[in-house]
Amino acid sequence: MIDLQGVLKRFGALTAVDHVDLSIEEGERIVIIGPSGSGKTTLLRMINFLETIDDGRILIDGREAGYRRDRKGRLVLEKQSVICTLRSEIGMVFQHFHLFPHMTVLQNVMEGPVTVKKQSREEARAVALDLLGKVGLLDKRDVYPAFLSGGQKQRVAIARALAMKPRLMLFDEPTSALDPELVGEVFSAIKSLAAEGMTMVIVTHQMGFAREMADRVIFMDNGKFIYEGTPSEVFSDTMDNPRVKAFMDKVL
Amino acid sequence: MTSRPGSNRISTPWPGARACALGLLFILLVIPAVSWAAPGNGDQYDLLARATQLVQEDRLDEAVDVFRKVPPPPPGEDAGIFVRSRMEAAKILLSNKDYQASAAMCHEILSLLPDNLEAKNLLSKIQAAQTPKWVRFLKDMKTYLPTLAKATVMTLLLVLITMFISPVGGLFIAMGRISRLQVLSGLFWCYIWIFRGTPLLLQLFFIYYGLPSLGITLDPFPAAVLGLGLNYSAYLAEIMRGAIESIDAGQMEAAKSLGMSYWQAMRRIIIPQTYKRLVPPVGNEFIALIKDTALVSTIAMVELMRAANQIYSATFNVFILFQAALVYLVLTSIFTVSFRKLEDRLGVYENR
Repeated sequence: MIDLQGVLKRFGALTAVDHVDLSIEEGERIVIIGPSGSGKTTLLRMINFLETIDDGRILIDGREAGYRRDRKGRLVLEKQSVICTLRSEIGMVFQHFHLFPHMTVLQNVMEGPVTVKKQSREEARAVALDLLGKVGLLDKRDVYPAFLSGGQKQRVAIARALAMKPRLMLFDEPTSALDPELVGEVFSAIKSLAAEGMTMVIVTHQMGFAREMADRVIFMDNGKFIYEGTPSEVFSDTMDNPRVKAFMDKVL
Repeated sequence: MTSRPGSNRISTPWPGARACALGLLFILLVIPAVSWAAPGNGDQYDLLARATQLVQEDRLDEAVDVFRKVPPPPPGEDAGIFVRSRMEAAKILLSNKDYQASAAMCHEILSLLPDNLEAKNLLSKIQAAQTPKWVRFLKDMKTYLPTLAKATVMTLLLVLITMFISPVGGLFIAMGRISRLQVLSGLFWCYIWIFRGTPLLLQLFFIYYGLPSLGITLDPFPAAVLGLGLNYSAYLAEIMRGAIESIDAGQMEAAKSLGMSYWQAMRRIIIPQTYKRLVPPVGNEFIALIKDTALVSTIAMVELMRAANQIYSATFNVFILFQAALVYLVLTSIFTVSFRKLEDRLGVYENR
């Protein structure tokens, strides 16, 4: 569905993502793990153009998308309307939720469809209520985000992303900002989404979740893919890659 | 009488001589005195001159006496000297707080010349001097209340129009300032630099007195609105820019991740979140604005300050200034309370 080919991102002297190839298939669940600062989040943000690439290409359904080259041959982002359309088909859930604090839970979930897709309020409301039911927050629909727990906020954020009916969901450390006892409710929301066949890319530090959820686990370090494999391969006791092994020994 | 000359006969010439001497003395001493005291055309000038001399020597009481000796002119003749001497006497008496005597002088003039303005004015001055100051001040305040009320409406109108214009202008400038286009950002930076860096008074002068030389002539009201609007837009722009930049960058990313354009995100997500943060600083600006409208009095706008100043110049009644101050205080207080309430209402989504 989406292919990243040789994508590169530099922040000054630091190469955050170093010529990486990633192919995301329809219905696939990819979990990216690795130490902090290894470029996981940057890679994830490249997929919906929140981060621009310095080199390489991004293909959506086999066609190059999002960038063109200027006269000097540098990559520049396509005009805003094109990018917006691409983004509207990709949902994203942030570590710090980023709910809109001035809107109620229901308004948060309705906002995308109404403003971006120009859906009628009634239609958007029906969809939003359905999604809030799925994440178990129907009773909180008229509450402002400030009055929710972290776990509830993240479930609203998931519902908000889903309201756009995305083809792909990106999760950027969705449980890292949560108290441990609230992690479970967010994971089960993601799991039920997976059960519906949603394509997703998840960046997480929760190894148990990675093992349980992933079709494919990618270990990233210093902007490169160090290891790629099924959960049973990555989390096996006979892991022969020394860096992956050192990391696993630390986190498990 | 001749056959027997007696003491009488002999003494007869003596009494005659005495009478002669007395008569001479009378002529020498009394007649001049009488003629000096008697009414005559040339004498009133002497009296006036003498009185004036006394005034110069600061012998005021004597001067008054002499002034009062100037006789009323015969009917049909010029009353100038008489009026002048009575007026002078009345003025001296007034300054001595002898109101009754002073008024009597005025009445003497008025009985002769019922339409004499000078005397009439002095009479009303005597009356005013006799009423206690605070009664006079209260009377003035009542008299000029409608004028002040009208001026207050004008001040309020200026404030409200500027309150409407400047946030619109300010937002426009703020958006220009945060633009990634260097030219645009620089242009609006210049605008803010100029309008925040020069006195509002100077800007008003430039618009009202300076623009006509460039072929643009504005009436005081549009000139005042333009000046206040341009100036306050610059201030509000900086406040708004600060508020927009204070919103967590994650909000813009979240909006973009839903597929929103920059403007959609600004309009729906970022700007609405600035409202509550804007209220305290913008409220401050608007309170300053109420007071700054006083500056437009310098470009011929009759608003509260100018009206108060005009009334003060006419009455020297310092309470008029207090009255104007009170109106300003009431206006600023209303604004303070309203903005406080507005801030609370805009904060409903916060968990505090």
